[in-house]
Amino acid sequence: MAEFFAQYMPAWGAYLLTALISVALLLAVVGLGALFFIWAERKVAGRIQDRLGPTRTGGKFGWLQSLADGIKLITKEDLAPADADRLLFRLAPYVSLAPSYAALLALPFADGWVGWEINTSVFFLLAILGLEVFGVILAGYASGSKWSLFGGMRQAAQVVSYEVPLGMCGVIPVFLCGTMSLTTIGNMQAGWATNWLIFHDPFTFMVFWVYFTCAVASVNRAPFDLAEAESELVAGFHTEYSGLRWSFFFMAEYNSMFVVSGLAAVLFFGGWNGPVPIFASWKAAGGGWEIVADLAGCLNFIGKAVLGVMVMIWVRWTLPRLRIDQVITTCLKYCVPLAAFCFVGALAWQLASLPSPNDWLSPDPAGRAAVREPWVERAEDGAERSGTSGAEELARLAEDKR
Amino acid sequence: MLAAIDLHGFLFVLFALTACVFAAGVLFSSNIVRMAFNLVLSLGSSAGLFFLAGAEFVGAMQLMIYVGGTLVLLVFGVMLTAQHRFLEMRTNAGEWVLSLLVGGALLMVLLQAAFSVSQWNTPYAQRDQVEIDESKSATPIAAALTGVRVDKLEETNPRLRAGKSGYLMPFVIVSMHLLVVLVGAAYLARPRMAVRQMRRGG
Amino acid sequence: MATANREQIIELDVRTDELLVNMGPQHPSTHGVLRLVLKTDGEIVTHVEPHIGYLHRCAEKIGENLTPRQWIPYTDRMDYLAAMNMNLGWSLCVEKLLGYELPEKARHIRVIIAELGRIASHLVGMGTYGLDLGTFSPFLYAFREREKILDLFEEVCGARLTNSYITPGGVTGDLPAGWLEKCEAFLDQFVPVITEYHTLLTTNAIFIQRTAGIGVISREMAIDYGCTGPVLRGSGVDHDLRRDGEERYTEMYDGYAFEVIVEKDGHYPRDHDYPPVPPEAVLGDCWHRFYVRMLEVMQAIDIVREGIEFYRASSGDWGHPIKLNTKLPKGEVYLETECPRGQMGFYLVSDGSAIPWRVRARSSCFCNLSVTEELCRGCLLADVAAIVGSLDIVMGEIDR
Repeated sequence: MAEFFAQYMPAWGAYLLTALISVALLLAVVGLGALFFIWAERKVAGRIQDRLGPTRTGGKFGWLQSLADGIKLITKEDLAPADADRLLFRLAPYVSLAPSYAALLALPFADGWVGWEINTSVFFLLAILGLEVFGVILAGYASGSKWSLFGGMRQAAQVVSYEVPLGMCGVIPVFLCGTMSLTTIGNMQAGWATNWLIFHDPFTFMVFWVYFTCAVASVNRAPFDLAEAESELVAGFHTEYSGLRWSFFFMAEYNSMFVVSGLAAVLFFGGWNGPVPIFASWKAAGGGWEIVADLAGCLNFIGKAVLGVMVMIWVRWTLPRLRIDQVITTCLKYCVPLAAFCFVGALAWQLASLPSPNDWLSPDPAGRAAVREPWVERAEDGAERSGTSGAEELARLAEDKR
Repeated sequence: MLAAIDLHGFLFVLFALTACVFAAGVLFSSNIVRMAFNLVLSLGSSAGLFFLAGAEFVGAMQLMIYVGGTLVLLVFGVMLTAQHRFLEMRTNAGEWVLSLLVGGALLMVLLQAAFSVSQWNTPYAQRDQVEIDESKSATPIAAALTGVRVDKLEETNPRLRAGKSGYLMPFVIVSMHLLVVLVGAAYLARPRMAVRQMRRGG
Repeated sequence: MATANREQIIELDVRTDELLVNMGPQHPSTHGVLRLVLKTDGEIVTHVEPHIGYLHRCAEKIGENLTPRQWIPYTDRMDYLAAMNMNLGWSLCVEKLLGYELPEKARHIRVIIAELGRIASHLVGMGTYGLDLGTFSPFLYAFREREKILDLFEEVCGARLTNSYITPGGVTGDLPAGWLEKCEAFLDQFVPVITEYHTLLTTNAIFIQRTAGIGVISREMAIDYGCTGPVLRGSGVDHDLRRDGEERYTEMYDGYAFEVIVEKDGHYPRDHDYPPVPPEAVLGDCWHRFYVRMLEVMQAIDIVREGIEFYRASSGDWGHPIKLNTKLPKGEVYLETECPRGQMGFYLVSDGSAIPWRVRARSSCFCNLSVTEELCRGCLLADVAAIVGSLDIVMGEIDR
């Protein structure tokens, strides 16, 4: 995008504008996403429980309910308990929200539609999602309430344990594709649904479920919502919060749900590549058609991620909560060994060159090997253009414009 | 005039400043959790520096291991073992002197290492090679942090080449430092029990 | 030389701090206003001390200033989830003092109503137990069905929660026309719903993990602490006042065929329709208490069906409430009935006037709650909610 703007303005302006647009778009994902998911959660929960959920705010279906809630939360008094460590208490919600938002930076929404193209984005996402726990721990510690303290401790124990199997599950697609770049992993699954990594072999199919379990646990959702276990800890780490600060925790939670579901969509479900390659030819056509194809891919991706979030909502309203020792046992006794087993299995499958469904159904000789990482492509492009670097290229374009 | 703003330089200064300011915060706060919080911001900023240098793997590693792992464990340990809420740590003069000695020595080593690389003395000479945003080629220092000394690739002597395995050492030193912090936190938070003991003199 | 008292600092190993936590009186899972003072070592609870009395309303003292019929509404507010059964206990107690013989029709009405009350009460117990374990939906499914029972109650007496329907001398009115058909229709649609509950809770893997082997009350312990109702039967003690109680109470159930829900040889009387007891479950644990309640719901359905048949076959009067100012004969009387939560006893001493001289109530939940301290020692924090929930207490009854 920066190249495009650089035609009309100086290079620094192009950078700034590109950055601003990306940031605004991602903020919209956080804000609107939270609004939508909270409304959807209430609606889905209502339907699951033979209720209607919100019906009136904003006319039909209560679709403005979250906005009304938001306005209510903004106008509420922002309280801090007398016993609290004021500074940390006030900062904790931001510490929780910031990593959750930063995770979106590296999450591609379509081929190349990513805030920040880095070639270790899988690792970056896993690392930055693990930071969210720090806000929760700070909130638990700084609140000056024993229930909050319990919530913080539980969250720390849980997230630190679940990072291990989550990372192991995330590593399997990385090894199968030979890259840590999410964009590349997504592009490698182009074509029919059979090309999705979840159908690559039995082990990847199994590991997806391990991933999903660990993802639910790492974003602190039922049945692993121990940090805010209502029936035990009143409200856990956010017992003492009110108003907008309280809602920041929820924005962080819903956003993290979206991110882990999106990560699952890219790693296992082809990302923006649909079950049927409708837009493949458009994509190849380039120009305006390519943008339309990318837009469709973006919607496809968001649809998959939202589906993942819906499953989490469904699980939450169905299952009882686990106990802390059972949560840790689930992690160490089941998730870690299963993930390790699948890791070895998937690698052995690859090593033995055993066939995957895609090989029989739609044999594509070019296949995954043809897909290259974006920076490799760029380097090749750059090499064609007589070895000049990207920055110089931009500067040259800007010069031409002037 | 605005065009003269060097984004890379600006971001570098920004991250470096926050890293230093919050590192000083670690030093001067007496509440152990606030210390940890300052350390998070400081380490996060240095992760930002790694990202800026194009060493994304190291940056993400920093975030995952130190911020997400070690510090969370530190605070967890403090919360579990603290006898009083909002545990305060008081350092006496002797400890100050000792820590200044150790810290100063460490700083000297780092500074010496930093200034020994001739290219870094004149960063502006290579400015056109520093590429940001679109380009994903790592800067020499980033490559060095992952163990590849690009400035030594021409070295013909294989022993020299093998010996110059980049700047993993400072990274490891930081990790050792954190280990010390962890042990120290557990030590300070350890419950002390005052007991009267009958002791027979002489 | 002299011995010196010298203070010395001994450094212990890294040890977690013991926390003193107040669970309640405002806490989501203490079923009202129970207050538990917990001493915890990390997540492990080392000591629990229940504090009661936050809902004390001097009900017994009020009973010494009102005539027995006037006091009926106060019994509603004791166990407000099974108001009909409370009414019944007090009415039987007063009738015992008066030596009143109940007409046949009133007897069957009472059985139908009391068993419906038992279903409604167990539904709440089941739903809130789900809440205690962190699942929200079964709670609403339970309340959906309970609402239908309350609709039936409303049609009978005009009130949904505090019914005051069963009074000394019978009931306040006959069942309305067409009510029996509605009741039968409700039962028909309710039976398959119970399978849903079993899917969501009883046989759910997480539910079993959370309840099986947790809070085990042994047979002896249950008897020693005076536990009654499902808590007692969940520990394998074959005791149900509907069969083993006083003549005046058991004669109400004359002609009704029912078995006491208690485990015999690893089987429950009515468990053939449902998956068997999971291998993890230990007799007397939370899971068994829950299962006993669920089976009692099934059994109550059959008793109500029988009652409807008996009611249709019976003729004559449905009984009439005694007059408000009926003089009570001199004497004292005590009667226990099998309420949903256990044996609820009423004690009445009369000096010959219309107003009792002394009124006392024996609360089942009070005795059941007293087990908490021993049960929760050494369990995890989350288990406290599971254990207290499985006792299914109602603070209105404990504090009175």
